[in-house]
Amino acid sequence: MTAAVAGITDEIERAPRARVDFARLATLIALLAPAAALLGIGLVWPFLMMLGISFQDKFPDPTALTFANYSTALTDPYFLRITLRTFAMALVVTATTAVLSYPVAWFLARSQSRWKHLVFLAVISPLMVSIIVRTIGWTIILGNEGLINAMLAGLGLVTEPLRLMQSFWSVVVGMVHILIPFMVLSIATVLGKIDPAYAEAAAVLGASPRRNFLKIMLPLSVQGIASGSVIVFCLTVGAYVTPVMLGRGQVAVLAVTIHEQMVVLVDWPTGAAVAMVLTAGTLIVLLLYGVFLRRHSRR
Amino acid sequence: MNPTHFLTSERVLKAYVFTILLFLALPIIIVVPLAFSTDVSLTFPPHGFSLRWFANILARREFAAAFLNSAIIAILSTAIALVIGIMSAIAFARFRFPGRETLLLLFMTPLIFPAIVLGAAMALMLSPLGLLRSVQGLALAHTVLIFPYILRTALATLFEIDASLHEAAYTLGANRWQTFRHVILPLLRPGLLAGATFALIISFDEFTVSMFLVGPGLMTLPLEMYNYSEFSLDPTIAAISTVLLVITSIAILIIEKLVGLGRQFS
Repeated sequence: MTAAVAGITDEIERAPRARVDFARLATLIALLAPAAALLGIGLVWPFLMMLGISFQDKFPDPTALTFANYSTALTDPYFLRITLRTFAMALVVTATTAVLSYPVAWFLARSQSRWKHLVFLAVISPLMVSIIVRTIGWTIILGNEGLINAMLAGLGLVTEPLRLMQSFWSVVVGMVHILIPFMVLSIATVLGKIDPAYAEAAAVLGASPRRNFLKIMLPLSVQGIASGSVIVFCLTVGAYVTPVMLGRGQVAVLAVTIHEQMVVLVDWPTGAAVAMVLTAGTLIVLLLYGVFLRRHSRR
Repeated sequence: MNPTHFLTSERVLKAYVFTILLFLALPIIIVVPLAFSTDVSLTFPPHGFSLRWFANILARREFAAAFLNSAIIAILSTAIALVIGIMSAIAFARFRFPGRETLLLLFMTPLIFPAIVLGAAMALMLSPLGLLRSVQGLALAHTVLIFPYILRTALATLFEIDASLHEAAYTLGANRWQTFRHVILPLLRPGLLAGATFALIISFDEFTVSMFLVGPGLMTLPLEMYNYSEFSLDPTIAAISTVLLVITSIAILIIEKLVGLGRQFS
Protein backbone atom coordinates (compact mmCIF):
# COMPACT_ATOMS: atom_id res chain seq x y z
CA MET A 1 0.00 0.00 0.00
CA THR A 2 2.70 2.45 0.97
CA ALA A 3 4.59 1.45 -2.15
CA ALA A 4 1.58 2.27 -4.32
CA VAL A 5 1.07 5.63 -2.61
CA ALA A 6 4.76 6.43 -2.98
CA GLY A 7 4.54 5.59 -6.69
CA ILE A 8 1.56 7.90 -7.21
CA THR A 9 3.02 10.89 -5.33
CA ASP A 10 6.24 10.30 -7.21
CA GLU A 11 4.48 10.63 -10.55
CA ILE A 12 2.49 13.67 -9.47
CA GLU A 13 5.66 15.40 -8.41
CA ARG A 14 7.45 14.52 -11.61
CA ALA A 15 4.92 15.88 -14.09
CA PRO A 16 1.58 17.62 -14.32
CA ARG A 17 -1.41 15.30 -14.76
CA ALA A 18 -2.15 16.11 -18.41
CA ARG A 19 1.43 15.47 -19.47
CA VAL A 20 1.47 12.06 -17.77
CA ASP A 21 -1.59 11.04 -19.81
CA PHE A 22 0.00 12.28 -23.00
CA ALA A 23 3.15 10.28 -22.27
CA ARG A 24 1.06 7.18 -21.63
CA LEU A 25 -0.84 7.68 -24.88
CA ALA A 26 2.42 8.05 -26.79
CA THR A 27 3.76 4.87 -25.19
CA LEU A 28 0.58 2.99 -26.08
CA ILE A 29 0.74 4.11 -29.71
CA ALA A 30 4.44 3.27 -29.94
CA LEU A 31 3.76 -0.21 -28.54
CA LEU A 32 0.91 -0.95 -30.96
CA ALA A 33 2.34 0.71 -34.09
CA PRO A 34 4.63 -2.16 -35.22
CA ALA A 35 1.80 -4.73 -34.97
CA ALA A 36 -0.60 -2.41 -36.80
CA ALA A 37 2.02 -1.87 -39.51
CA LEU A 38 2.68 -5.62 -39.81
CA LEU A 39 -1.00 -6.50 -40.25
CA GLY A 40 -1.63 -3.43 -42.40
CA ILE A 41 1.15 -4.31 -44.83
CA GLY A 42 0.92 -8.09 -44.55
CA LEU A 43 -2.84 -8.69 -44.38
CA VAL A 44 -5.11 -5.67 -44.95
CA TRP A 45 -3.31 -4.10 -47.92
CA PRO A 46 -2.89 -7.34 -49.92
CA PHE A 47 -6.51 -8.24 -49.16
CA LEU A 48 -7.75 -4.86 -50.45
CA MET A 49 -5.66 -5.31 -53.62
CA MET A 50 -7.34 -8.65 -54.20
CA LEU A 51 -10.77 -7.15 -53.50
CA GLY A 52 -10.02 -4.53 -56.16
CA ILE A 53 -8.95 -7.13 -58.72
CA SER A 54 -12.15 -9.11 -58.17
CA PHE A 55 -14.02 -6.16 -59.77
CA GLN A 56 -11.67 -5.79 -62.76
CA ASP A 57 -12.45 -7.18 -66.20
CA LYS A 58 -8.82 -8.05 -66.84
CA PHE A 59 -5.64 -8.38 -64.84
CA PRO A 60 -3.21 -6.80 -65.31
CA ASP A 61 -4.27 -3.67 -67.24
CA PRO A 62 -8.02 -3.45 -66.54
CA THR A 63 -10.26 -1.56 -68.95
CA ALA A 64 -13.46 -1.50 -66.87
CA LEU A 65 -14.94 -2.32 -63.49
CA THR A 66 -17.47 -5.15 -63.47
CA PHE A 67 -19.54 -7.50 -61.33
CA ALA A 68 -19.17 -10.23 -63.96
CA ASN A 69 -16.56 -12.14 -61.91
CA TYR A 70 -18.98 -12.39 -58.99
CA SER A 71 -21.87 -13.51 -61.18
CA THR A 72 -19.54 -16.20 -62.58
CA ALA A 73 -18.34 -17.23 -59.11
CA LEU A 74 -21.87 -17.37 -57.70
CA THR A 75 -24.00 -18.68 -60.58
CA ASP A 76 -21.79 -20.69 -62.95
CA PRO A 77 -22.74 -24.36 -62.28
CA TYR A 78 -19.05 -25.34 -62.14
CA PHE A 79 -18.22 -22.90 -59.34
CA LEU A 80 -21.58 -23.39 -57.65
CA ARG A 81 -21.01 -27.13 -57.34
CA ILE A 82 -17.54 -26.58 -55.89
CA THR A 83 -18.80 -23.98 -53.40
CA LEU A 84 -21.60 -26.29 -52.26
CA ARG A 85 -19.19 -29.25 -51.98
CA THR A 86 -16.75 -27.17 -49.91
CA PHE A 87 -19.36 -25.95 -47.45
CA ALA A 88 -21.00 -29.40 -47.26
CA MET A 89 -17.59 -30.90 -46.52
CA ALA A 90 -16.96 -28.28 -43.82
CA LEU A 91 -20.30 -29.12 -42.18
CA VAL A 92 -19.64 -32.87 -42.27
CA VAL A 93 -16.10 -32.42 -40.92
CA THR A 94 -17.27 -30.04 -38.17
CA ALA A 95 -20.07 -32.33 -36.99
CA THR A 96 -17.90 -35.47 -37.11
CA THR A 97 -15.04 -33.76 -35.29
CA ALA A 98 -17.36 -32.44 -32.56
CA VAL A 99 -18.94 -35.86 -31.91
CA LEU A 100 -15.59 -37.70 -31.92
CA SER A 101 -13.85 -35.08 -29.75
CA TYR A 102 -16.44 -34.57 -27.02
CA PRO A 103 -15.72 -37.77 -25.02
CA VAL A 104 -11.95 -37.13 -25.25
CA ALA A 105 -12.44 -33.59 -23.93
CA TRP A 106 -14.67 -35.02 -21.22
CA PHE A 107 -11.95 -37.44 -20.20
CA LEU A 108 -9.32 -34.67 -20.12
CA ALA A 109 -11.51 -32.30 -18.12
CA ARG A 110 -13.07 -34.66 -15.60
CA SER A 111 -11.13 -37.89 -15.24
CA GLN A 112 -8.80 -38.46 -12.28
CA SER A 113 -6.68 -40.89 -14.29
CA ARG A 114 -2.92 -40.69 -13.88
CA TRP A 115 -2.62 -41.04 -17.66
CA LYS A 116 -4.40 -37.72 -18.14
CA HIS A 117 -1.32 -35.64 -18.86
CA LEU A 118 0.03 -38.20 -21.30
CA VAL A 119 -3.31 -38.31 -23.13
CA PHE A 120 -3.24 -34.53 -23.29
CA LEU A 121 0.23 -34.60 -24.86
CA ALA A 122 -0.84 -37.28 -27.33
CA VAL A 123 -3.83 -35.19 -28.41
CA ILE A 124 -1.98 -31.94 -29.06
CA SER A 125 1.38 -33.23 -30.32
CA PRO A 126 -0.02 -33.95 -33.82
CA LEU A 127 -0.56 -30.18 -34.19
CA MET A 128 3.20 -29.80 -34.34
CA VAL A 129 3.74 -32.48 -36.99
CA SER A 130 4.05 -31.25 -40.58
CA ILE A 131 0.76 -31.49 -42.49
CA ILE A 132 2.67 -33.01 -45.42
CA VAL A 133 3.95 -35.81 -43.16
CA ARG A 134 0.44 -36.50 -41.84
CA THR A 135 -1.08 -36.54 -45.32
CA ILE A 136 1.67 -38.87 -46.60
CA GLY A 137 0.73 -41.09 -43.64
CA TRP A 138 -2.88 -41.22 -44.85
CA THR A 139 -1.64 -42.05 -48.35
CA ILE A 140 0.20 -45.04 -46.86
CA ILE A 141 -2.95 -46.15 -45.00
CA LEU A 142 -5.53 -45.57 -47.75
CA GLY A 143 -3.45 -46.15 -50.91
CA ASN A 144 -3.89 -49.06 -53.31
CA GLU A 145 -0.77 -50.67 -51.82
CA GLY A 146 -1.59 -49.32 -48.39
CA LEU A 147 -2.33 -50.68 -44.93
CA ILE A 148 -6.09 -51.14 -45.29
CA ASN A 149 -5.92 -52.80 -48.70
CA ALA A 150 -3.08 -55.06 -47.47
CA MET A 151 -5.22 -56.11 -44.50
CA LEU A 152 -8.33 -56.69 -46.62
CA ALA A 153 -6.33 -58.72 -49.13
CA GLY A 154 -4.69 -60.69 -46.31
CA LEU A 155 -8.11 -61.61 -44.93
CA GLY A 156 -9.17 -62.64 -48.43
CA LEU A 157 -11.99 -60.08 -48.48
CA VAL A 158 -10.93 -58.37 -51.69
CA THR A 159 -9.16 -59.64 -54.79
CA GLU A 160 -8.16 -56.25 -56.17
CA PRO A 161 -7.47 -53.13 -54.12
CA LEU A 162 -10.35 -50.84 -53.18
CA ARG A 163 -9.97 -47.27 -54.38
CA LEU A 164 -10.08 -45.50 -51.01
CA MET A 165 -8.25 -42.34 -52.01
CA GLN A 166 -9.48 -39.76 -54.54
CA SER A 167 -12.84 -39.54 -52.81
CA PHE A 168 -14.81 -37.00 -50.81
CA TRP A 169 -14.67 -39.28 -47.77
CA SER A 170 -10.90 -39.78 -47.82
CA VAL A 171 -10.54 -35.99 -47.65
CA VAL A 172 -13.07 -35.88 -44.78
CA VAL A 173 -11.05 -38.49 -42.85
CA GLY A 174 -7.82 -36.54 -43.40
CA MET A 175 -9.42 -33.26 -42.31
CA VAL A 176 -11.04 -34.78 -39.21
CA HIS A 177 -7.65 -36.19 -38.24
CA ILE A 178 -6.01 -32.77 -38.52
CA LEU A 179 -8.77 -30.88 -36.69
CA ILE A 180 -9.62 -33.15 -33.72
CA PRO A 181 -6.96 -31.53 -31.47
CA PHE A 182 -8.47 -28.03 -31.99
CA MET A 183 -11.96 -29.28 -31.09
CA VAL A 184 -10.80 -31.28 -28.04
CA LEU A 185 -8.95 -28.24 -26.68
CA SER A 186 -11.95 -25.91 -27.14
CA ILE A 187 -14.39 -28.27 -25.45
CA ALA A 188 -12.01 -29.35 -22.66
CA THR A 189 -11.30 -25.71 -21.73
CA VAL A 190 -15.01 -25.03 -21.20
CA LEU A 191 -15.76 -28.39 -19.51
CA GLY A 192 -12.88 -27.84 -17.09
CA LYS A 193 -14.44 -24.58 -15.88
CA ILE A 194 -17.82 -26.13 -14.98
CA ASP A 195 -18.22 -26.48 -11.23
CA PRO A 196 -18.68 -30.23 -10.48
CA ALA A 197 -21.21 -29.18 -7.82
CA TYR A 198 -23.84 -28.62 -10.54
CA ALA A 199 -23.78 -32.24 -11.67
CA GLU A 200 -23.63 -33.45 -8.06
CA ALA A 201 -26.59 -31.30 -7.08
CA ALA A 202 -28.62 -32.65 -10.02
CA ALA A 203 -27.70 -36.22 -9.06
CA VAL A 204 -28.69 -35.66 -5.44
CA LEU A 205 -32.01 -34.21 -6.61
CA GLY A 206 -32.66 -37.46 -8.46
CA ALA A 207 -31.58 -36.75 -12.04
CA SER A 208 -30.53 -39.87 -13.92
CA PRO A 209 -27.03 -39.78 -15.43
CA ARG A 210 -28.63 -39.41 -18.86
CA ARG A 211 -30.84 -36.51 -17.77
CA ASN A 212 -27.95 -34.97 -15.86
CA PHE A 213 -25.82 -35.00 -19.00
CA LEU A 214 -28.50 -33.75 -21.40
CA LYS A 215 -29.93 -31.07 -19.08
CA ILE A 216 -26.84 -29.89 -17.17
CA MET A 217 -23.45 -30.74 -18.69
CA LEU A 218 -24.24 -30.54 -22.40
CA PRO A 219 -25.91 -27.08 -22.25
CA LEU A 220 -23.08 -25.77 -20.07
CA SER A 221 -20.46 -26.97 -22.55
CA VAL A 222 -22.20 -25.69 -25.71
CA GLN A 223 -19.89 -22.68 -25.78
CA GLY A 224 -16.85 -24.95 -26.16
CA ILE A 225 -18.50 -26.90 -28.96
CA ALA A 226 -19.39 -23.61 -30.68
CA SER A 227 -15.91 -22.06 -30.51
CA GLY A 228 -14.30 -25.33 -31.60
CA SER A 229 -16.77 -25.63 -34.49
CA VAL A 230 -15.94 -22.12 -35.72
CA ILE A 231 -12.22 -22.94 -35.83
CA VAL A 232 -12.79 -26.31 -37.51
CA PHE A 233 -15.26 -24.89 -40.05
CA CYS A 234 -13.01 -21.97 -41.02
CA LEU A 235 -9.95 -24.21 -41.38
CA THR A 236 -11.88 -26.76 -43.47
CA VAL A 237 -13.36 -24.33 -46.01
CA GLY A 238 -9.88 -22.89 -46.61
CA ALA A 239 -7.99 -26.21 -46.67
CA TYR A 240 -5.75 -26.92 -49.65
CA VAL A 241 -3.17 -29.63 -48.86
CA THR A 242 -5.51 -32.42 -47.75
CA PRO A 243 -8.03 -32.12 -50.65
CA VAL A 244 -5.16 -32.01 -53.16
CA MET A 245 -3.08 -34.85 -51.75
CA LEU A 246 -5.88 -37.23 -50.73
CA GLY A 247 -8.34 -36.19 -53.45
CA ARG A 248 -5.63 -36.39 -56.13
CA GLY A 249 -7.51 -34.17 -58.59
CA GLN A 250 -10.89 -35.83 -58.01
CA VAL A 251 -12.12 -33.64 -55.13
CA ALA A 252 -12.31 -29.99 -56.19
CA VAL A 253 -12.87 -27.57 -53.32
CA LEU A 254 -12.72 -23.76 -53.22
CA ALA A 255 -9.06 -23.52 -52.20
CA VAL A 256 -7.98 -25.85 -55.01
CA THR A 257 -10.11 -23.92 -57.53
CA ILE A 258 -8.75 -20.54 -56.42
CA HIS A 259 -5.19 -21.79 -56.88
CA GLU A 260 -6.07 -23.29 -60.26
CA GLN A 261 -7.78 -20.11 -61.52
CA MET A 262 -4.89 -17.91 -60.50
CA VAL A 263 -1.78 -19.98 -61.06
CA VAL A 264 -2.75 -22.48 -63.78
CA LEU A 265 -5.33 -20.51 -65.80
CA VAL A 266 -3.86 -17.09 -64.87
CA ASP A 267 -7.40 -15.71 -64.55
CA TRP A 268 -6.85 -13.56 -61.46
CA PRO A 269 -10.17 -11.61 -61.49
CA THR A 270 -12.33 -14.77 -61.39
CA GLY A 271 -9.98 -16.39 -58.87
CA ALA A 272 -10.16 -13.25 -56.72
CA ALA A 273 -13.99 -13.27 -56.82
CA VAL A 274 -14.04 -16.95 -55.75
CA ALA A 275 -11.57 -16.06 -52.97
CA MET A 276 -13.94 -13.31 -51.80
CA VAL A 277 -16.81 -15.83 -51.71
CA LEU A 278 -14.66 -18.05 -49.50
CA THR A 279 -13.69 -15.16 -47.24
CA ALA A 280 -17.33 -14.03 -47.00
CA GLY A 281 -18.37 -17.56 -45.99
CA THR A 282 -15.77 -17.51 -43.21
CA LEU A 283 -16.92 -14.06 -42.12
CA ILE A 284 -20.59 -15.10 -41.97
CA VAL A 285 -19.72 -18.03 -39.72
CA LEU A 286 -17.77 -15.68 -37.44
CA LEU A 287 -20.68 -13.23 -37.28
CA LEU A 288 -23.12 -16.04 -36.44
CA TYR A 289 -20.73 -17.07 -33.66
CA GLY A 290 -20.69 -13.47 -32.38
CA VAL A 291 -24.51 -13.44 -32.28
CA PHE A 292 -24.50 -16.80 -30.51
CA LEU A 293 -22.01 -15.56 -27.90
CA ARG A 294 -24.11 -12.48 -27.18
CA ARG A 295 -27.30 -14.56 -26.76
CA HIS A 296 -25.47 -17.16 -24.72
CA SER A 297 -23.94 -14.70 -22.25
CA ARG A 298 -27.28 -12.92 -21.82
CA ARG A 299 -28.97 -16.08 -20.56
CA MET B 1 -26.01 -46.19 -27.76
CA ASN B 2 -26.89 -44.17 -24.70
CA PRO B 3 -24.42 -41.23 -24.66
CA THR B 4 -24.35 -40.96 -20.89
CA HIS B 5 -23.37 -44.57 -20.40
CA PHE B 6 -20.45 -43.76 -22.63
CA LEU B 7 -19.24 -40.88 -20.48
CA THR B 8 -20.01 -42.26 -17.05
CA SER B 9 -18.53 -45.72 -17.48
CA GLU B 10 -14.83 -45.08 -16.93
CA ARG B 11 -13.75 -48.25 -18.71
CA VAL B 12 -15.76 -47.61 -21.88
CA LEU B 13 -14.54 -44.00 -21.93
CA LYS B 14 -10.91 -45.05 -21.55
CA ALA B 15 -11.21 -47.58 -24.38
CA TYR B 16 -12.75 -44.89 -26.58
CA VAL B 17 -10.04 -42.33 -25.79
CA PHE B 18 -7.41 -44.95 -26.57
CA THR B 19 -9.04 -45.59 -29.97
CA ILE B 20 -9.00 -41.89 -30.83
CA LEU B 21 -5.35 -41.60 -29.76
CA LEU B 22 -4.57 -44.53 -32.07
CA PHE B 23 -6.42 -42.77 -34.89
CA LEU B 24 -4.38 -39.61 -34.24
CA ALA B 25 -1.04 -41.40 -34.01
CA LEU B 26 -1.32 -44.02 -36.74
CA PRO B 27 -0.85 -41.81 -39.86
CA ILE B 28 2.12 -40.16 -38.16
CA ILE B 29 4.07 -43.21 -36.97
CA ILE B 30 3.29 -45.33 -40.03
CA VAL B 31 5.78 -43.32 -42.13
CA VAL B 32 8.71 -44.41 -39.93
CA PRO B 33 8.94 -48.13 -40.88
CA LEU B 34 8.50 -47.24 -44.56
CA ALA B 35 11.52 -44.94 -44.42
CA PHE B 36 13.74 -48.03 -43.89
CA SER B 37 12.08 -50.12 -46.61
CA THR B 38 13.87 -51.56 -49.67
CA ASP B 39 10.72 -51.19 -51.82
CA VAL B 40 10.72 -48.49 -54.45
CA SER B 41 7.20 -47.30 -53.64
CA LEU B 42 5.29 -46.56 -50.44
CA THR B 43 4.01 -50.13 -50.00
CA PHE B 44 2.60 -51.60 -46.81
CA PRO B 45 3.90 -53.79 -45.25
CA PRO B 46 7.48 -52.68 -46.04
CA HIS B 47 10.10 -55.25 -47.08
CA GLY B 48 13.75 -55.50 -46.06
CA PHE B 49 15.88 -52.88 -44.36
CA SER B 50 17.91 -50.14 -45.99
CA LEU B 51 19.18 -46.65 -45.39
CA ARG B 52 19.28 -45.78 -49.08
CA TRP B 53 16.34 -43.34 -48.82
CA PHE B 54 18.15 -41.38 -46.15
CA ALA B 55 21.20 -41.35 -48.41
CA ASN B 56 18.95 -40.13 -51.22
CA ILE B 57 17.93 -37.08 -49.13
CA LEU B 58 21.59 -36.05 -48.98
CA ALA B 59 22.25 -36.94 -52.61
CA ARG B 60 19.45 -34.67 -53.78
CA ARG B 61 20.83 -31.25 -53.05
CA GLU B 62 17.45 -29.52 -53.36
CA PHE B 63 16.28 -30.96 -50.02
CA ALA B 64 19.24 -29.54 -48.11
CA ALA B 65 18.78 -26.16 -49.81
CA ALA B 66 15.05 -26.12 -49.06
CA PHE B 67 15.71 -27.15 -45.44
CA LEU B 68 18.14 -24.25 -45.08
CA ASN B 69 15.65 -21.77 -46.62
CA SER B 70 12.87 -22.97 -44.34
CA ALA B 71 15.15 -22.66 -41.29
CA ILE B 72 16.27 -19.11 -42.21
CA ILE B 73 12.69 -17.97 -42.87
CA ALA B 74 11.46 -19.57 -39.63
CA ILE B 75 14.18 -17.95 -37.51
CA LEU B 76 13.77 -14.55 -39.15
CA SER B 77 9.98 -14.43 -38.87
CA THR B 78 10.01 -15.76 -35.29
CA ALA B 79 12.51 -13.10 -34.22
CA ILE B 80 10.43 -10.28 -35.75
CA ALA B 81 7.15 -11.71 -34.42
CA LEU B 82 8.71 -11.97 -30.93
CA VAL B 83 9.60 -8.26 -30.80
CA ILE B 84 6.29 -7.06 -32.25
CA GLY B 85 4.31 -9.62 -30.22
CA ILE B 86 5.87 -8.64 -26.88
CA MET B 87 5.33 -4.94 -27.59
CA SER B 88 1.64 -5.33 -28.37
CA ALA B 89 1.16 -7.82 -25.50
CA ILE B 90 2.43 -5.16 -23.08
CA ALA B 91 0.00 -2.66 -24.60
CA PHE B 92 -2.92 -5.05 -24.12
CA ALA B 93 -1.88 -6.16 -20.64
CA ARG B 94 -1.00 -2.80 -19.12
CA PHE B 95 -3.33 -0.30 -20.82
CA ARG B 96 -7.10 0.15 -20.87
CA PHE B 97 -8.25 1.96 -23.99
CA PRO B 98 -11.44 2.17 -26.09
CA GLY B 99 -11.69 -0.59 -28.70
CA ARG B 100 -9.19 -2.79 -26.85
CA GLU B 101 -11.21 -6.02 -27.21
CA THR B 102 -11.94 -5.39 -30.89
CA LEU B 103 -8.32 -4.63 -31.67
CA LEU B 104 -7.19 -7.81 -29.92
CA LEU B 105 -9.71 -9.78 -32.00
CA LEU B 106 -8.40 -8.11 -35.18
CA PHE B 107 -4.81 -8.98 -34.24
CA MET B 108 -5.90 -12.63 -33.94
CA THR B 109 -7.49 -12.82 -37.43
CA PRO B 110 -4.49 -14.49 -39.15
CA LEU B 111 -5.36 -17.61 -37.08
CA ILE B 112 -8.61 -18.23 -38.98
CA PHE B 113 -8.15 -16.15 -42.15
CA PRO B 114 -8.21 -18.51 -45.19
CA ALA B 115 -4.53 -19.21 -45.92
CA ILE B 116 -5.21 -19.67 -49.63
CA VAL B 117 -6.61 -16.12 -49.86
CA LEU B 118 -3.76 -14.64 -47.84
CA GLY B 119 -1.19 -16.42 -50.01
CA ALA B 120 -2.68 -15.23 -53.30
CA ALA B 121 -3.12 -11.68 -51.98
CA MET B 122 0.47 -11.66 -50.72
CA ALA B 123 1.70 -12.72 -54.17
CA LEU B 124 -0.29 -9.86 -55.73
CA MET B 125 1.36 -7.36 -53.44
CA LEU B 126 4.91 -8.72 -53.57
CA SER B 127 5.07 -9.33 -57.31
CA PRO B 128 5.29 -5.65 -58.44
CA LEU B 129 7.87 -5.04 -55.68
CA GLY B 130 10.04 -7.82 -57.11
CA LEU B 131 9.82 -9.70 -53.81
CA LEU B 132 8.33 -12.95 -55.11
CA ARG B 133 10.66 -15.88 -54.44
CA SER B 134 12.52 -13.80 -51.84
CA VAL B 135 13.37 -14.59 -48.24
CA GLN B 136 11.99 -11.17 -47.22
CA GLY B 137 8.60 -11.82 -48.81
CA LEU B 138 8.21 -15.24 -47.21
CA ALA B 139 9.41 -13.93 -43.84
CA LEU B 140 6.80 -11.15 -43.97
CA ALA B 141 4.01 -13.66 -44.71
CA HIS B 142 5.16 -16.03 -41.97
CA THR B 143 5.50 -13.19 -39.44
CA VAL B 144 1.84 -12.31 -40.06
CA LEU B 145 0.87 -15.96 -39.53
CA ILE B 146 2.80 -16.58 -36.30
CA PHE B 147 2.36 -13.15 -34.70
CA PRO B 148 -0.99 -14.13 -33.05
CA TYR B 149 0.59 -17.20 -31.41
CA ILE B 150 3.38 -15.10 -29.88
CA LEU B 151 0.92 -12.38 -28.81
CA ARG B 152 -1.31 -14.97 -27.13
CA THR B 153 1.55 -16.63 -25.23
CA ALA B 154 3.08 -13.31 -24.15
CA LEU B 155 -0.29 -11.98 -23.04
CA ALA B 156 -1.08 -15.11 -21.00
CA THR B 157 2.34 -14.91 -19.31
CA LEU B 158 2.05 -11.15 -18.63
CA PHE B 159 -1.32 -11.57 -16.93
CA GLU B 160 0.28 -13.99 -14.49
CA ILE B 161 2.98 -11.53 -13.44
CA ASP B 162 2.00 -9.82 -10.22
CA ALA B 163 1.40 -6.09 -10.72
CA SER B 164 3.01 -5.41 -7.34
CA LEU B 165 6.36 -6.41 -8.87
CA HIS B 166 6.13 -3.31 -11.06
CA GLU B 167 5.41 -1.12 -8.09
CA ALA B 168 8.26 -2.67 -6.13
CA ALA B 169 10.67 -2.01 -9.01
CA TYR B 170 9.48 1.61 -9.38
CA THR B 171 9.71 2.18 -5.63
CA LEU B 172 13.25 0.91 -5.65
CA GLY B 173 14.08 3.51 -8.28
CA ALA B 174 13.95 1.57 -11.54
CA ASN B 175 12.57 3.35 -14.59
CA ARG B 176 10.18 1.76 -17.10
CA TRP B 177 12.91 0.27 -19.28
CA GLN B 178 14.92 -1.06 -16.32
CA THR B 179 11.76 -2.62 -14.89
CA PHE B 180 11.06 -4.31 -18.23
CA ARG B 181 14.66 -5.43 -18.75
CA HIS B 182 15.40 -6.77 -15.24
CA VAL B 183 11.99 -7.75 -13.84
CA ILE B 184 9.44 -8.45 -16.57
CA LEU B 185 11.61 -9.98 -19.29
CA PRO B 186 13.20 -12.68 -17.07
CA LEU B 187 9.71 -13.68 -15.91
CA LEU B 188 8.45 -13.80 -19.51
CA ARG B 189 11.39 -15.85 -20.77
CA PRO B 190 10.17 -19.47 -20.32
CA GLY B 191 6.75 -18.68 -21.82
CA LEU B 192 8.30 -16.82 -24.72
CA LEU B 193 10.85 -19.57 -25.43
CA ALA B 194 8.02 -22.08 -25.62
CA GLY B 195 5.97 -19.75 -27.81
CA ALA B 196 8.97 -19.14 -30.07
CA THR B 197 9.64 -22.88 -30.46
CA PHE B 198 6.01 -23.36 -31.44
CA ALA B 199 6.20 -20.44 -33.89
CA LEU B 200 9.39 -21.87 -35.46
CA ILE B 201 7.56 -25.14 -36.13
CA ILE B 202 4.49 -23.38 -37.59
CA SER B 203 6.65 -21.36 -39.96
CA PHE B 204 8.84 -24.34 -40.88
CA ASP B 205 5.77 -26.44 -41.81
CA GLU B 206 3.76 -23.68 -43.51
CA PHE B 207 2.52 -24.74 -46.95
CA THR B 208 -0.51 -22.94 -48.38
CA VAL B 209 0.64 -19.31 -48.15
CA SER B 210 4.22 -20.17 -49.14
CA MET B 211 2.95 -22.03 -52.23
CA PHE B 212 2.23 -18.68 -53.92
CA LEU B 213 5.54 -17.10 -52.93
CA VAL B 214 8.12 -19.78 -53.78
CA GLY B 215 9.45 -20.89 -57.13
CA PRO B 216 12.58 -22.05 -58.90
CA GLY B 217 15.51 -20.60 -56.99
CA LEU B 218 13.74 -20.37 -53.63
CA MET B 219 11.86 -23.39 -52.30
CA THR B 220 10.84 -24.28 -48.75
CA LEU B 221 11.01 -27.84 -47.45
CA PRO B 222 7.24 -28.61 -47.35
CA LEU B 223 6.88 -27.39 -50.95
CA GLU B 224 9.94 -29.36 -52.06
CA MET B 225 8.51 -32.49 -50.39
CA TYR B 226 5.16 -31.93 -52.08
CA ASN B 227 6.76 -31.45 -55.50
CA TYR B 228 8.83 -34.61 -55.03
CA SER B 229 5.75 -36.62 -54.00
CA GLU B 230 3.98 -35.39 -57.15
CA PHE B 231 6.36 -37.21 -59.46
CA SER B 232 7.65 -40.03 -57.28
CA LEU B 233 6.09 -41.73 -54.28
CA ASP B 234 9.25 -43.56 -53.23
CA PRO B 235 10.21 -43.81 -49.54
CA THR B 236 12.48 -40.73 -49.72
CA ILE B 237 9.45 -38.74 -48.56
CA ALA B 238 9.00 -41.15 -45.63
CA ALA B 239 12.69 -40.72 -44.76
CA ILE B 240 12.42 -36.90 -44.68
CA SER B 241 9.22 -37.22 -42.66
CA THR B 242 11.11 -39.38 -40.15
CA VAL B 243 13.83 -36.74 -39.82
CA LEU B 244 11.16 -34.06 -39.32
CA LEU B 245 9.41 -36.21 -36.69
CA VAL B 246 12.65 -36.42 -34.70
CA ILE B 247 13.04 -32.61 -34.85
CA THR B 248 9.38 -32.10 -33.86
CA SER B 249 9.72 -34.49 -30.92
CA ILE B 250 12.70 -32.50 -29.66
CA ALA B 251 10.69 -29.27 -29.97
CA ILE B 252 7.78 -30.81 -28.06
CA LEU B 253 10.15 -31.93 -25.30
CA ILE B 254 11.62 -28.40 -25.07
CA ILE B 255 8.19 -26.77 -24.76
CA GLU B 256 7.01 -29.42 -22.31
CA LYS B 257 10.08 -28.88 -20.10
CA LEU B 258 9.76 -25.09 -20.20
CA VAL B 259 6.08 -24.46 -19.51
CA GLY B 260 4.05 -27.48 -20.57
CA LEU B 261 2.67 -27.89 -24.07
CA GLY B 262 -0.88 -27.20 -22.95
CA ARG B 263 -0.08 -23.58 -22.17
CA GLN B 264 0.47 -22.99 -25.87
CA PHE B 265 -3.19 -23.49 -26.63
CA SER B 266 -5.24 -22.32 -23.68
